[in-house]
Amino acid sequence: MASADKLINTDVPEKDVFALHFLRSLSNLRTQNPLNSPDKSIDRVRKIKKAAYVSMARAAGGNSRLWSRALLRRAAKDDNKSVRFSRRKRKVTWKISSKRRRSNQRAPVVEEAAERLRNLVPGGGGMETSKLMEETAHYIKCLSMQVKVMQCLVDGLSQK
Amino acid sequence: MDLTGGFGARSGGIGPCREPIGLESLHLGDEFRQLVTTLPPENAGGSFTALLELPPTQAVELLHFTDSSSSQVAAVTGIGGENAPPLHSFGGTLAFPSNSVLMERAARFSVIATEQQNGNVSGETPTSSVPSNSSANLDRVKTEPAETDSSQRLISDSAIENQIPCPSQNNRNGKRKDFEKKVKSSTKKNKSSEENEKLPYVHVRARRGQATDSHSLAERARREKINARMKLLQELVPGCDKGTDFGGKIKIKVCFGVHLLMISGKKAVNFLWKVSCEDLIDCSFNPLGFRLTRHSLAASFTIQGTALVLDEIINHVQSLQRQVEMLSMRLAAVNPRIDFNLDTILASENGSLMDGSFNGTPMQLAWPHQAIETEQSFHHRQLPPPPTQQWPFDGLNQPVWGREEDQADGNDNSNLMAVSENVMVASANLHPNQVKMEL
Repeated sequence: MASADKLINTDVPEKDVFALHFLRSLSNLRTQNPLNSPDKSIDRVRKIKKAAYVSMARAAGGNSRLWSRALLRRAAKDDNKSVRFSRRKRKVTWKISSKRRRSNQRAPVVEEAAERLRNLVPGGGGMETSKLMEETAHYIKCLSMQVKVMQCLVDGLSQK
Repeated sequence: MDLTGGFGARSGGIGPCREPIGLESLHLGDEFRQLVTTLPPENAGGSFTALLELPPTQAVELLHFTDSSSSQVAAVTGIGGENAPPLHSFGGTLAFPSNSVLMERAARFSVIATEQQNGNVSGETPTSSVPSNSSANLDRVKTEPAETDSSQRLISDSAIENQIPCPSQNNRNGKRKDFEKKVKSSTKKNKSSEENEKLPYVHVRARRGQATDSHSLAERARREKINARMKLLQELVPGCDKGTDFGGKIKIKVCFGVHLLMISGKKAVNFLWKVSCEDLIDCSFNPLGFRLTRHSLAASFTIQGTALVLDEIINHVQSLQRQVEMLSMRLAAVNPRIDFNLDTILASENGSLMDGSFNGTPMQLAWPHQAIETEQSFHHRQLPPPPTQQWPFDGLNQPVWGREEDQADGNDNSNLMAVSENVMVASANLHPNQVKMEL
Protein backbone atom coordinates (compact mmCIF):
# COMPACT_ATOMS: atom_id res chain seq x y z
CA MET A 1 0.00 0.00 0.00
CA ALA A 2 1.44 3.31 -0.96
CA SER A 3 1.53 5.98 1.64
CA ALA A 4 -0.38 9.04 0.83
CA ASP A 5 2.18 11.48 2.02
CA LYS A 6 5.90 11.33 1.55
CA LEU A 7 6.61 12.85 4.89
CA ILE A 8 4.21 10.73 6.84
CA ASN A 9 4.88 7.10 6.33
CA THR A 10 1.87 4.91 6.85
CA ASP A 11 2.83 1.80 5.04
CA VAL A 12 1.16 -1.35 6.07
CA PRO A 13 2.26 -4.86 5.19
CA GLU A 14 0.36 -7.04 2.82
CA LYS A 15 -2.67 -9.03 3.61
CA ASP A 16 -0.73 -12.27 3.83
CA VAL A 17 1.21 -11.09 6.78
CA PHE A 18 -1.91 -10.35 8.69
CA ALA A 19 -3.42 -13.65 7.71
CA LEU A 20 -0.37 -15.50 8.80
CA HIS A 21 -0.22 -13.94 12.18
CA PHE A 22 -3.87 -14.36 12.81
CA LEU A 23 -3.90 -17.99 11.88
CA ARG A 24 -0.90 -18.62 13.99
CA SER A 25 -2.57 -17.10 16.97
CA LEU A 26 -5.71 -19.06 16.27
CA SER A 27 -3.83 -22.29 16.14
CA ASN A 28 -2.11 -21.32 19.33
CA LEU A 29 -5.49 -20.94 20.85
CA ARG A 30 -6.44 -24.40 19.68
CA THR A 31 -3.44 -26.00 21.22
CA GLN A 32 -3.93 -24.17 24.43
CA ASN A 33 -7.40 -25.56 24.89
CA PRO A 34 -7.55 -28.77 22.97
CA LEU A 35 -10.81 -29.90 24.46
CA ASN A 36 -12.52 -26.63 24.87
CA SER A 37 -16.05 -27.05 25.96
CA PRO A 38 -18.29 -25.02 23.74
CA ASP A 39 -20.58 -23.75 26.46
CA LYS A 40 -18.36 -20.88 27.38
CA SER A 41 -18.64 -19.20 24.09
CA ILE A 42 -18.21 -15.75 25.48
CA ASP A 43 -14.77 -16.57 26.71
CA ARG A 44 -13.89 -17.99 23.37
CA VAL A 45 -15.12 -14.89 21.64
CA ARG A 46 -13.07 -12.75 23.89
CA LYS A 47 -10.00 -14.85 23.33
CA ILE A 48 -10.42 -14.76 19.62
CA LYS A 49 -10.88 -11.05 19.67
CA LYS A 50 -7.83 -10.56 21.73
CA ALA A 51 -5.87 -12.88 19.48
CA ALA A 52 -7.05 -10.87 16.53
CA TYR A 53 -5.86 -7.61 17.99
CA VAL A 54 -2.56 -9.01 19.10
CA SER A 55 -1.86 -10.62 15.81
CA MET A 56 -2.77 -7.42 14.06
CA ALA A 57 -0.40 -5.48 16.25
CA ARG A 58 2.37 -7.91 15.50
CA ALA A 59 1.74 -7.96 11.83
CA ALA A 60 1.58 -4.24 11.63
CA GLY A 61 4.95 -3.63 13.04
CA GLY A 62 5.51 -5.00 16.46
CA ASN A 63 7.27 -2.30 18.35
CA SER A 64 7.66 0.26 15.66
CA ARG A 65 4.30 1.87 16.09
CA LEU A 66 3.01 3.42 19.24
CA TRP A 67 -0.43 1.92 19.07
CA SER A 68 0.85 -1.55 18.46
CA ARG A 69 3.18 -1.28 21.38
CA ALA A 70 0.40 -0.11 23.60
CA LEU A 71 -1.83 -2.92 22.43
CA LEU A 72 0.77 -5.55 23.04
CA ARG A 73 1.64 -4.14 26.38
CA ARG A 74 -1.98 -4.11 27.39
CA ALA A 75 -2.41 -7.68 26.28
CA ALA A 76 0.76 -8.82 27.98
CA LYS A 77 -0.31 -7.23 31.19
CA ASP A 78 -3.50 -9.20 31.33
CA ASP A 79 -2.22 -12.50 30.24
CA ASN A 80 1.43 -13.06 30.64
CA LYS A 81 1.66 -16.46 29.18
CA SER A 82 0.37 -16.16 25.72
CA VAL A 83 1.67 -12.77 24.74
CA ARG A 84 5.34 -12.10 24.47
CA PHE A 85 6.23 -8.50 24.77
CA SER A 86 9.71 -7.16 25.02
CA ARG A 87 10.16 -3.84 26.61
CA ARG A 88 12.41 -1.34 25.06
CA LYS A 89 14.15 1.45 26.82
CA ARG A 90 11.80 4.13 27.86
CA LYS A 91 12.43 7.29 26.00
CA VAL A 92 12.14 10.60 27.66
CA THR A 93 8.52 11.47 27.89
CA TRP A 94 8.58 14.53 30.01
CA LYS A 95 8.11 16.65 26.94
CA ILE A 96 4.56 15.52 26.69
CA SER A 97 3.71 16.78 30.11
CA SER A 98 5.09 20.20 29.37
CA LYS A 99 3.04 20.35 26.23
CA ARG A 100 -0.01 19.33 28.10
CA ARG A 101 0.28 22.31 30.32
CA ARG A 102 -0.35 24.52 27.38
CA SER A 103 -3.08 22.36 26.09
CA ASN A 104 -5.72 24.89 26.93
CA GLN A 105 -4.50 27.04 24.14
CA ARG A 106 -5.01 24.40 21.54
CA ALA A 107 -7.99 24.69 19.33
CA PRO A 108 -10.74 23.33 21.53
CA VAL A 109 -12.75 21.97 18.64
CA VAL A 110 -9.95 19.78 17.52
CA GLU A 111 -8.98 18.84 21.01
CA GLU A 112 -12.30 17.44 22.09
CA ALA A 113 -12.44 15.27 19.03
CA ALA A 114 -8.85 14.27 19.62
CA GLU A 115 -9.80 13.28 23.12
CA ARG A 116 -12.39 10.88 21.82
CA LEU A 117 -9.90 9.54 19.35
CA ARG A 118 -7.44 8.97 22.13
CA ASN A 119 -9.92 6.79 23.90
CA LEU A 120 -10.37 4.72 20.81
CA VAL A 121 -6.89 4.27 19.52
CA PRO A 122 -4.72 2.22 21.82
CA GLY A 123 -1.87 4.12 23.32
CA GLY A 124 -3.35 7.43 22.45
CA GLY A 125 -3.20 8.86 25.89
CA GLY A 126 0.37 9.97 25.77
CA MET A 127 0.49 11.36 22.31
CA GLU A 128 0.25 14.79 20.93
CA THR A 129 -2.48 15.55 18.48
CA SER A 130 -0.42 15.48 15.33
CA LYS A 131 1.23 12.25 16.35
CA LEU A 132 -2.14 10.91 17.27
CA MET A 133 -3.41 11.52 13.78
CA GLU A 134 -0.50 9.69 12.25
CA GLU A 135 -1.08 6.74 14.50
CA THR A 136 -4.76 6.80 13.73
CA ALA A 137 -4.08 6.64 10.04
CA HIS A 138 -1.89 3.61 10.43
CA TYR A 139 -4.31 2.05 12.85
CA ILE A 140 -7.19 2.47 10.45
CA LYS A 141 -5.23 0.83 7.67
CA CYS A 142 -4.27 -2.10 9.83
CA LEU A 143 -7.74 -2.51 11.18
CA SER A 144 -9.24 -2.65 7.74
CA MET A 145 -6.68 -5.22 6.69
CA GLN A 146 -7.47 -7.32 9.68
CA VAL A 147 -11.15 -7.08 8.99
CA LYS A 148 -10.58 -8.26 5.45
CA VAL A 149 -8.53 -11.20 6.58
CA MET A 150 -11.05 -12.27 9.16
CA GLN A 151 -13.85 -11.89 6.73
CA CYS A 152 -12.15 -14.09 4.21
CA LEU A 153 -11.45 -16.65 6.84
CA VAL A 154 -15.00 -16.74 8.02
CA ASP A 155 -16.26 -16.97 4.49
CA GLY A 156 -13.91 -19.77 3.69
CA LEU A 157 -14.72 -21.76 6.73
CA SER A 158 -18.42 -21.47 6.49
CA GLN A 159 -18.69 -22.19 2.84
CA LYS A 160 -18.98 -25.87 3.40
CA MET B 1 -10.94 44.19 -18.58
CA ASP B 2 -11.86 40.67 -19.02
CA LEU B 3 -15.52 41.09 -18.71
CA THR B 4 -16.26 41.39 -22.34
CA GLY B 5 -16.45 37.74 -23.02
CA GLY B 6 -18.77 35.22 -21.67
CA PHE B 7 -21.55 37.42 -20.53
CA GLY B 8 -24.57 35.54 -21.58
CA ALA B 9 -28.06 36.56 -21.16
CA ARG B 10 -28.40 34.47 -18.13
CA SER B 11 -29.31 37.27 -15.94
CA GLY B 12 -31.66 38.78 -18.40
CA GLY B 13 -34.48 36.60 -17.39
CA ILE B 14 -34.62 37.50 -13.80
CA GLY B 15 -38.03 38.67 -13.07
CA PRO B 16 -39.11 40.45 -10.01
CA CYS B 17 -40.82 37.32 -8.83
CA ARG B 18 -37.49 35.83 -7.93
CA GLU B 19 -36.56 38.69 -5.81
CA PRO B 20 -38.53 38.14 -2.65
CA ILE B 21 -37.78 34.46 -2.52
CA GLY B 22 -34.10 34.87 -2.95
CA LEU B 23 -33.74 37.73 -0.59
CA GLU B 24 -35.67 36.15 2.17
CA SER B 25 -33.68 33.02 2.08
CA LEU B 26 -30.57 34.93 2.95
CA HIS B 27 -29.63 36.14 6.32
CA LEU B 28 -30.39 39.75 5.73
CA GLY B 29 -30.80 42.45 8.19
CA ASP B 30 -33.77 44.69 8.15
CA GLU B 31 -31.66 47.58 7.14
CA PHE B 32 -30.64 45.97 3.97
CA ARG B 33 -34.15 44.93 3.12
CA GLN B 34 -35.25 48.47 3.32
CA LEU B 35 -32.50 49.47 1.02
CA VAL B 36 -33.45 46.86 -1.44
CA THR B 37 -37.06 47.70 -1.60
CA THR B 38 -36.83 51.44 -1.58
CA LEU B 39 -34.02 52.22 -3.95
CA PRO B 40 -35.23 52.57 -7.46
CA PRO B 41 -33.39 50.74 -10.18
CA GLU B 42 -31.03 52.91 -12.07
CA ASN B 43 -30.86 50.93 -15.17
CA ALA B 44 -34.18 49.96 -16.55
CA GLY B 45 -32.74 47.59 -19.06
CA GLY B 46 -30.86 45.36 -16.69
CA SER B 47 -33.06 43.80 -14.12
CA PHE B 48 -30.09 42.26 -12.55
CA THR B 49 -28.57 45.52 -11.63
CA ALA B 50 -31.96 46.55 -10.44
CA LEU B 51 -31.62 43.78 -7.97
CA LEU B 52 -28.25 44.97 -7.04
CA GLU B 53 -29.45 48.45 -6.27
CA LEU B 54 -26.17 49.62 -7.57
CA PRO B 55 -25.10 51.38 -10.63
CA PRO B 56 -23.73 48.83 -13.03
CA THR B 57 -20.26 50.16 -12.65
CA GLN B 58 -20.04 49.21 -9.07
CA ALA B 59 -21.65 45.90 -9.71
CA VAL B 60 -19.21 45.07 -12.42
CA GLU B 61 -16.43 46.21 -10.25
CA LEU B 62 -17.67 43.82 -7.69
CA LEU B 63 -17.55 41.07 -10.18
CA HIS B 64 -14.16 41.99 -11.37
CA PHE B 65 -12.68 42.06 -7.98
CA THR B 66 -14.20 38.88 -6.80
CA ASP B 67 -12.83 37.32 -9.87
CA SER B 68 -9.38 38.49 -9.18
CA SER B 69 -9.83 37.56 -5.56
CA SER B 70 -9.45 40.82 -3.89
CA SER B 71 -11.64 42.63 -1.53
CA GLN B 72 -15.06 43.52 -2.65
CA VAL B 73 -15.14 46.23 -0.12
CA ALA B 74 -12.23 48.09 -1.56
CA ALA B 75 -13.43 47.53 -5.04
CA VAL B 76 -16.77 49.04 -4.60
CA THR B 77 -15.74 52.27 -3.10
CA GLY B 78 -12.30 52.80 -4.43
CA ILE B 79 -12.30 52.21 -8.07
CA GLY B 80 -15.82 52.62 -9.08
CA GLY B 81 -15.27 55.84 -10.85
CA GLU B 82 -12.44 54.95 -13.16
CA ASN B 83 -14.04 52.34 -15.22
CA ALA B 84 -17.36 53.97 -15.65
CA PRO B 85 -17.26 54.57 -19.39
CA PRO B 86 -16.62 51.09 -20.74
CA LEU B 87 -19.07 49.44 -18.46
CA HIS B 88 -22.08 51.35 -19.45
CA SER B 89 -21.91 49.77 -22.81
CA PHE B 90 -22.78 46.43 -21.40
CA GLY B 91 -26.24 47.53 -20.71
CA GLY B 92 -26.17 46.08 -17.34
CA THR B 93 -26.44 42.46 -18.27
CA LEU B 94 -24.11 40.61 -16.12
CA ALA B 95 -23.56 37.05 -15.41
CA PHE B 96 -21.38 36.08 -12.60
CA PRO B 97 -19.41 32.96 -13.13
CA SER B 98 -20.61 30.41 -10.73
CA ASN B 99 -17.85 28.45 -9.36
CA SER B 100 -17.86 26.81 -6.04
CA VAL B 101 -15.21 29.11 -4.69
CA LEU B 102 -17.24 32.20 -5.30
CA MET B 103 -20.32 30.70 -3.84
CA GLU B 104 -18.57 29.63 -0.74
CA ARG B 105 -16.95 32.95 -0.33
CA ALA B 106 -20.24 34.60 -0.80
CA ALA B 107 -21.85 32.42 1.75
CA ARG B 108 -19.14 33.13 4.15
CA PHE B 109 -19.36 36.80 3.53
CA SER B 110 -23.03 36.90 4.08
CA VAL B 111 -22.56 35.18 7.34
CA ILE B 112 -19.76 37.43 8.41
CA ALA B 113 -21.67 40.46 7.42
CA THR B 114 -24.66 39.43 9.41
CA GLU B 115 -22.43 38.87 12.35
CA GLN B 116 -21.19 42.35 12.16
CA GLN B 117 -24.61 43.71 11.72
CA ASN B 118 -25.63 42.12 14.88
CA GLY B 119 -22.69 43.70 16.56
CA ASN B 120 -21.34 40.38 17.60
CA VAL B 121 -17.88 39.99 16.41
CA SER B 122 -16.43 38.07 19.25
CA GLY B 123 -17.80 35.43 21.46
CA GLU B 124 -18.31 31.79 21.24
CA THR B 125 -21.89 31.45 20.26
CA PRO B 126 -21.96 33.39 17.01
CA THR B 127 -18.76 31.83 15.89
CA SER B 128 -19.97 28.42 16.66
CA SER B 129 -22.99 29.16 14.62
CA VAL B 130 -20.84 30.38 11.81
CA PRO B 131 -19.90 26.97 10.49
CA SER B 132 -23.45 25.84 10.68
CA ASN B 133 -24.60 29.01 9.06
CA SER B 134 -22.12 28.78 6.33
CA SER B 135 -22.98 25.19 5.82
CA ALA B 136 -26.63 26.08 5.75
CA ASN B 137 -25.93 28.81 3.29
CA LEU B 138 -23.89 26.54 1.20
CA ASP B 139 -26.67 24.06 1.24
CA ARG B 140 -29.08 26.64 0.08
CA VAL B 141 -26.69 27.78 -2.51
CA LYS B 142 -26.24 24.30 -3.71
CA THR B 143 -29.88 23.56 -3.93
CA GLU B 144 -29.95 25.86 -6.90
CA PRO B 145 -26.74 25.02 -8.61
CA ALA B 146 -27.96 25.70 -12.05
CA GLU B 147 -29.28 29.07 -11.20
CA THR B 148 -26.51 31.49 -11.30
CA ASP B 149 -28.92 34.20 -10.38
CA SER B 150 -29.01 33.30 -6.74
CA SER B 151 -25.28 33.12 -6.58
CA GLN B 152 -25.01 36.48 -8.19
CA ARG B 153 -27.48 37.82 -5.75
CA LEU B 154 -25.55 36.33 -2.92
CA ILE B 155 -22.31 37.83 -3.97
CA SER B 156 -23.66 41.22 -4.65
CA ASP B 157 -25.91 41.32 -1.65
CA SER B 158 -23.22 40.29 0.68
CA ALA B 159 -20.94 42.82 -0.85
CA ILE B 160 -23.48 45.49 -0.30
CA GLU B 161 -23.92 44.40 3.24
CA ASN B 162 -20.24 44.54 3.73
CA GLN B 163 -19.92 48.03 2.61
CA ILE B 164 -22.83 49.31 4.56
CA PRO B 165 -21.93 48.45 8.09
CA CYS B 166 -18.21 48.72 7.80
CA PRO B 167 -17.19 51.53 5.62
CA SER B 168 -14.14 52.04 7.68
CA GLN B 169 -12.45 49.01 6.32
CA ASN B 170 -11.61 50.39 2.97
CA ASN B 171 -7.95 50.38 3.49
CA ARG B 172 -5.57 50.08 0.69
CA ASN B 173 -5.21 46.43 1.32
CA GLY B 174 -6.81 44.50 -1.41
CA LYS B 175 -6.50 41.39 0.60
CA ARG B 176 -9.70 39.91 1.82
CA LYS B 177 -8.05 37.93 4.48
CA ASP B 178 -7.18 41.04 6.35
CA PHE B 179 -10.84 41.95 6.47
CA GLU B 180 -11.63 38.59 7.76
CA LYS B 181 -8.86 38.81 10.23
CA LYS B 182 -10.97 41.03 12.40
CA VAL B 183 -13.61 38.42 12.53
CA LYS B 184 -11.07 35.72 12.65
CA SER B 185 -9.71 36.86 15.90
CA SER B 186 -12.32 34.87 17.64
CA THR B 187 -13.24 32.33 15.05
CA LYS B 188 -12.19 28.86 15.56
CA LYS B 189 -9.37 27.11 13.95
CA ASN B 190 -11.47 25.23 11.48
CA LYS B 191 -12.65 28.37 9.84
CA SER B 192 -9.21 29.72 9.28
CA SER B 193 -8.03 26.46 7.93
CA GLU B 194 -10.91 26.52 5.55
CA GLU B 195 -9.89 29.88 4.26
CA ASN B 196 -6.39 28.74 3.81
CA GLU B 197 -7.53 25.97 1.62
CA LYS B 198 -9.87 28.01 -0.47
CA LEU B 199 -7.91 31.11 -1.25
CA PRO B 200 -5.48 30.35 -3.99
CA TYR B 201 -2.98 33.02 -3.24
CA VAL B 202 -2.47 32.52 0.44
CA HIS B 203 1.04 31.91 1.42
CA VAL B 204 2.04 30.82 4.81
CA ARG B 205 3.33 33.90 6.41
CA ALA B 206 2.66 36.12 9.32
CA ARG B 207 -0.55 37.92 8.81
CA ARG B 208 -1.25 41.50 9.62
CA GLY B 209 -2.25 41.98 13.14
CA GLN B 210 -0.98 38.59 14.17
CA ALA B 211 1.80 38.29 16.63
CA THR B 212 4.98 36.97 15.18
CA ASP B 213 6.50 35.69 18.32
CA SER B 214 7.77 32.22 18.46
CA HIS B 215 4.79 30.85 20.29
CA SER B 216 2.20 31.74 17.75
CA LEU B 217 4.46 30.75 14.93
CA ALA B 218 4.99 27.40 16.51
CA GLU B 219 1.33 27.19 17.12
CA ARG B 220 0.59 27.85 13.51
CA ALA B 221 3.19 25.36 12.36
CA ARG B 222 1.62 22.84 14.63
CA ARG B 223 -1.79 23.58 13.29
CA GLU B 224 -0.58 23.08 9.79
CA LYS B 225 0.95 19.81 10.72
CA ILE B 226 -2.33 18.72 12.13
CA ASN B 227 -4.13 19.82 9.03
CA ALA B 228 -1.77 17.92 6.81
CA ARG B 229 -2.37 14.79 8.76
CA MET B 230 -6.04 15.43 8.77
CA LYS B 231 -5.97 15.47 4.99
CA LEU B 232 -4.17 12.18 5.07
CA LEU B 233 -6.82 10.76 7.32
CA GLN B 234 -9.51 12.14 5.12
CA GLU B 235 -8.26 10.13 2.24
CA LEU B 236 -8.32 7.03 4.33
CA VAL B 237 -11.78 7.38 5.63
CA PRO B 238 -14.20 6.75 2.85
CA GLY B 239 -16.49 9.55 2.04
CA CYS B 240 -14.53 12.29 3.67
CA ASP B 241 -12.66 13.42 0.66
CA LYS B 242 -15.61 14.86 -1.08
CA GLY B 243 -15.38 18.02 0.84
CA THR B 244 -16.37 20.57 -1.69
CA ASP B 245 -17.48 18.41 -4.49
CA PHE B 246 -20.73 19.20 -6.13
CA GLY B 247 -22.75 16.37 -7.42
CA GLY B 248 -20.08 13.76 -7.48
CA LYS B 249 -21.09 10.22 -8.10
CA ILE B 250 -20.18 8.04 -5.26
CA LYS B 251 -20.32 4.31 -5.08
CA ILE B 252 -21.26 3.25 -1.68
CA LYS B 253 -21.29 -0.23 -0.39
CA VAL B 254 -23.26 -1.34 2.55
CA CYS B 255 -21.21 -3.63 4.61
CA PHE B 256 -22.72 -6.77 6.09
CA GLY B 257 -25.67 -5.36 7.77
CA VAL B 258 -23.90 -3.64 10.56
CA HIS B 259 -23.60 -0.19 9.10
CA LEU B 260 -25.97 1.58 6.95
CA LEU B 261 -25.23 4.44 4.73
CA MET B 262 -27.85 6.99 4.03
CA ILE B 263 -27.19 9.53 1.42
CA SER B 264 -29.78 11.42 -0.40
CA GLY B 265 -29.04 13.60 -3.30
CA LYS B 266 -28.11 17.15 -2.57
CA LYS B 267 -28.38 16.89 1.16
CA ALA B 268 -25.51 17.62 3.40
CA VAL B 269 -24.35 14.44 5.03
CA ASN B 270 -22.50 14.66 8.22
CA PHE B 271 -21.94 11.16 9.37
CA LEU B 272 -21.23 8.27 7.11
CA TRP B 273 -21.16 5.03 8.94
CA LYS B 274 -19.86 2.54 6.56
CA VAL B 275 -16.91 0.78 5.22
CA SER B 276 -16.69 1.15 1.54
CA CYS B 277 -14.05 -0.74 -0.29
CA GLU B 278 -14.06 -2.22 -3.69
CA ASP B 279 -12.62 -5.47 -2.50
CA LEU B 280 -15.42 -6.20 -0.12
CA ILE B 281 -17.83 -6.33 -2.96
CA ASP B 282 -15.70 -8.68 -4.89
CA CYS B 283 -15.23 -11.18 -2.19
CA SER B 284 -18.75 -12.47 -2.23
CA PHE B 285 -20.35 -11.85 1.07
CA ASN B 286 -23.54 -13.27 -0.09
CA PRO B 287 -23.52 -16.89 0.96
CA LEU B 288 -23.88 -16.07 4.58
CA GLY B 289 -27.13 -14.31 4.37
CA PHE B 290 -25.75 -10.84 4.64
CA ARG B 291 -26.95 -8.91 1.78
CA LEU B 292 -24.68 -6.46 0.19
CA THR B 293 -26.37 -3.62 -1.50
CA ARG B 294 -24.76 -1.04 -3.61
CA HIS B 295 -25.94 2.46 -3.95
CA SER B 296 -24.67 4.80 -6.55
CA LEU B 297 -26.11 8.13 -5.93
CA ALA B 298 -25.27 11.56 -6.93
CA ALA B 299 -24.68 13.32 -3.72
CA SER B 300 -23.21 16.56 -2.73
CA PHE B 301 -21.25 16.58 0.41
CA THR B 302 -20.38 19.30 2.66
CA ILE B 303 -18.08 18.14 5.31
CA GLN B 304 -16.80 21.28 6.72
CA GLY B 305 -14.35 22.02 9.30
CA THR B 306 -12.04 19.77 11.10
CA ALA B 307 -14.58 18.85 13.73
CA LEU B 308 -16.77 17.01 11.32
CA VAL B 309 -13.86 15.30 9.69
CA LEU B 310 -12.65 14.15 13.05
CA ASP B 311 -16.07 12.90 13.95
CA GLU B 312 -16.12 10.96 10.76
CA ILE B 313 -12.78 9.46 11.52
CA ILE B 314 -13.90 8.49 14.98
CA ASN B 315 -16.96 6.81 13.59
CA HIS B 316 -14.87 4.92 11.12
CA VAL B 317 -12.53 3.64 13.77
CA GLN B 318 -15.44 2.61 15.92
CA SER B 319 -17.09 0.82 13.08
CA LEU B 320 -13.93 -1.06 12.26
CA GLN B 321 -13.53 -2.18 15.83
CA ARG B 322 -17.12 -3.29 15.92
CA GLN B 323 -16.55 -5.27 12.78
CA VAL B 324 -13.61 -7.02 14.34
CA GLU B 325 -15.73 -7.94 17.27
CA MET B 326 -18.50 -9.26 15.11
CA LEU B 327 -16.15 -11.28 13.00
CA SER B 328 -14.54 -12.77 16.04
CA MET B 329 -17.96 -13.80 17.26
CA ARG B 330 -18.64 -15.48 13.99
CA LEU B 331 -15.30 -17.15 14.05
CA ALA B 332 -16.03 -18.47 17.48
CA ALA B 333 -19.24 -19.93 16.19
CA VAL B 334 -17.44 -21.63 13.34
CA ASN B 335 -14.64 -22.83 15.51
CA PRO B 336 -15.28 -26.52 16.07
CA ARG B 337 -14.50 -27.19 12.49
CA ILE B 338 -11.13 -25.58 12.81
CA ASP B 339 -10.33 -27.76 15.73
CA PHE B 340 -11.02 -30.85 13.81
CA ASN B 341 -8.97 -29.80 10.85
CA LEU B 342 -6.02 -28.63 12.78
CA ASP B 343 -5.91 -31.81 14.75
CA THR B 344 -5.83 -33.86 11.64
CA ILE B 345 -3.20 -31.62 10.15
CA LEU B 346 -1.08 -31.91 13.19
CA ALA B 347 -1.45 -35.62 13.32
CA SER B 348 -0.65 -36.22 9.72
CA GLU B 349 2.16 -33.85 9.16
CA ASN B 350 4.17 -34.24 12.24
CA GLY B 351 7.28 -35.48 10.62
CA SER B 352 7.17 -34.00 7.20
CA LEU B 353 7.45 -30.38 8.04
CA MET B 354 11.14 -30.18 8.61
CA ASP B 355 11.97 -30.25 4.98
CA GLY B 356 11.92 -26.57 4.61
CA SER B 357 9.83 -26.43 1.51
CA PHE B 358 6.25 -26.69 0.65
CA ASN B 359 6.69 -28.86 -2.35
CA GLY B 360 6.30 -32.11 -0.64
CA THR B 361 3.81 -31.12 1.94
CA PRO B 362 1.02 -33.57 1.84
CA MET B 363 -2.27 -31.86 2.15
CA GLN B 364 -4.21 -34.58 3.78
CA LEU B 365 -6.84 -32.34 5.01
CA ALA B 366 -10.50 -32.17 5.12
CA TRP B 367 -10.10 -29.00 3.12
CA PRO B 368 -11.90 -28.65 -0.15
CA HIS B 369 -10.67 -29.97 -3.41
CA GLN B 370 -8.59 -26.95 -4.13
CA ALA B 371 -5.75 -28.40 -2.13
CA ILE B 372 -3.68 -29.12 -5.17
CA GLU B 373 -4.34 -25.78 -6.63
CA THR B 374 -3.40 -24.15 -3.41
CA GLU B 375 0.13 -25.35 -3.56
CA GLN B 376 0.68 -24.19 -7.06
CA SER B 377 -0.97 -20.88 -6.64
CA PHE B 378 0.79 -20.49 -3.37
CA HIS B 379 4.07 -20.75 -5.17
CA HIS B 380 2.93 -18.29 -7.70
CA ARG B 381 2.04 -15.95 -4.97
CA GLN B 382 5.23 -16.38 -3.16
CA LEU B 383 7.44 -15.49 -6.03
CA PRO B 384 7.44 -11.83 -5.12
CA PRO B 385 7.68 -12.14 -1.39
CA PRO B 386 6.46 -9.23 0.63
CA PRO B 387 9.44 -7.19 1.57
CA THR B 388 8.44 -6.48 5.09
CA GLN B 389 8.15 -10.03 6.18
CA GLN B 390 10.57 -12.84 5.97
CA TRP B 391 8.79 -15.76 4.52
CA PRO B 392 9.65 -19.04 6.16
CA PHE B 393 10.58 -20.69 2.95
CA ASP B 394 13.75 -22.20 4.10
CA GLY B 395 13.46 -21.66 7.72
CA LEU B 396 10.68 -23.90 8.76
CA ASN B 397 12.82 -25.26 11.47
CA GLN B 398 13.22 -21.99 13.17
CA PRO B 399 10.78 -19.23 13.75
CA VAL B 400 11.76 -16.38 11.53
CA TRP B 401 9.74 -13.61 12.98
CA GLY B 402 12.55 -12.19 14.93
CA ARG B 403 10.63 -9.51 16.64
CA GLU B 404 8.42 -11.77 18.57
CA GLU B 405 8.33 -15.07 20.25
CA ASP B 406 11.45 -16.77 21.30
CA GLN B 407 12.29 -20.26 20.29
CA ALA B 408 11.12 -21.94 23.36
CA ASP B 409 8.81 -24.25 21.56
CA GLY B 410 11.12 -25.47 18.88
CA ASN B 411 9.43 -28.27 17.10
CA ASP B 412 5.97 -27.37 18.12
CA ASN B 413 6.44 -23.91 16.89
CA SER B 414 7.51 -24.97 13.47
CA ASN B 415 4.66 -27.38 13.31
CA LEU B 416 2.27 -24.68 14.13
CA MET B 417 3.81 -22.36 11.64
CA ALA B 418 3.52 -24.86 8.89
CA VAL B 419 0.05 -25.73 9.95
CA SER B 420 -0.99 -22.16 10.00
CA GLU B 421 0.57 -21.57 6.65
CA ASN B 422 -1.26 -24.47 5.19
CA VAL B 423 -4.44 -23.31 6.69
CA MET B 424 -3.87 -19.84 5.46
CA VAL B 425 -2.95 -21.02 2.05
CA ALA B 426 -6.02 -23.09 1.76
CA SER B 427 -8.36 -20.53 3.11
CA ALA B 428 -6.84 -17.66 1.27
CA ASN B 429 -6.91 -19.48 -1.95
CA LEU B 430 -10.52 -20.23 -1.67
CA HIS B 431 -10.85 -16.71 -2.90
CA PRO B 432 -8.04 -16.44 -5.34
CA ASN B 433 -9.34 -13.29 -6.86
CA GLN B 434 -8.94 -10.95 -4.01
CA VAL B 435 -5.68 -12.45 -2.93
CA LYS B 436 -4.16 -11.68 -6.24
CA MET B 437 -5.72 -8.33 -6.16
CA GLU B 438 -4.07 -7.58 -2.92
CA LEU B 439 -0.73 -8.36 -4.37
